[in-house]
Amino acid sequence: GACRVSMSLAEIRAGFTAIKADIQSRDPIRTLSILSHPHSLHKVKSSDRCCIAHQLFTFYVDKVFKHCRTEDSFVNRKISSIANSFLSTRRKLGQCREQNNCTCGEESTEKFKQILANYEGLNVTSAAMKSLGELDILLDWMEKSR
Amino acid sequence: DALLPAPQDISILSTNMKHFLTWSPVVVQGATVRYSVEFQGEYEREYANGSWIPISECSLTTATVCNLTEDISATVAYKLRVRAQLGATRSPWATSKGFFSRAMTSLTPPELRVVADGHHVLVELADMGPSFQFRVLYWRKGQESRVQQKVMKEVSSVVHLATMEAGAEYCVKAQAHVEAINRSSSFSPTQCVRAQGDTSVWLV
Repeated sequence: GACRVSMSLAEIRAGFTAIKADIQSRDPIRTLSILSHPHSLHKVKSSDRCCIAHQLFTFYVDKVFKHCRTEDSFVNRKISSIANSFLSTRRKLGQCREQNNCTCGEESTEKFKQILANYEGLNVTSAAMKSLGELDILLDWMEKSR
Repeated sequence: DALLPAPQDISILSTNMKHFLTWSPVVVQGATVRYSVEFQGEYEREYANGSWIPISECSLTTATVCNLTEDISATVAYKLRVRAQLGATRSPWATSKGFFSRAMTSLTPPELRVVADGHHVLVELADMGPSFQFRVLYWRKGQESRVQQKVMKEVSSVVHLATMEAGAEYCVKAQAHVEAINRSSSFSPTQCVRAQGDTSVWLV
């Protein structure tokens, strides 16, 4: 249920906070956002949240983490911790989505397409690092929309 | 490299969400053998080409134990491996059999202290770490069917549980709960205290 996902969010946030400054320092393009351009996640309708959350966790698992390997062992360990937490949280979101028959509305489908377009507009390492650096945007949105 | 044998008897000891890898030492007369440990989560297996991640605190260590707690921080299946090193000579990796998930940790009952302070029942629980919550059950002796519950998400110092009727005896027990793995420990032994005058009494 929701509370178990929230527990994982707290752990993910702790892992991200430990490396946030390092990750964000590796993102030279400060004028563009992948998750918030052109519209904030907070504009997503509540009925679409479950679906887009699952899509976003899949996006991070499939596309982002694998391109974020650094020369810093501590950072790599924290990224692994976040990635594995994303994997188990995505599983719960997937179960949630099936049980509650979450549908993806037109708006959220469009929003997710925009996120992918923002991502593909950059070279893969920059896009992955920027997406990882924006994790608190995703976590804030997840916590506010519980 | 194969001259140096791989460490044997690898095992993972996990209690109350603290996880340790242990192994038997590789003995080479008159030499100091060092060890390095790496871990692999489900993410690394499924999405990162089966890559392994070194644990720097357990790289070239002479110890035969490694604290995995910081790295085993998701509820997925992990694999661990360790190898020995003597100078430039390295042993083959020895990999843990099967997978380890933190959901397999063994949970012990919490340490509970119950104090009667006049007519008040106060409890104190030992801190078990950030992952833990506590479920405290209490009832008036003889009224076992009317058990009350208090869930404590964080351990603070002494907590007021109930106000007792004069001369009544109240009993308390507690269990630990870990939300991240959705499991609870068994209950601590029941402790009962009796309402007294103004003096503070502690009865085990």
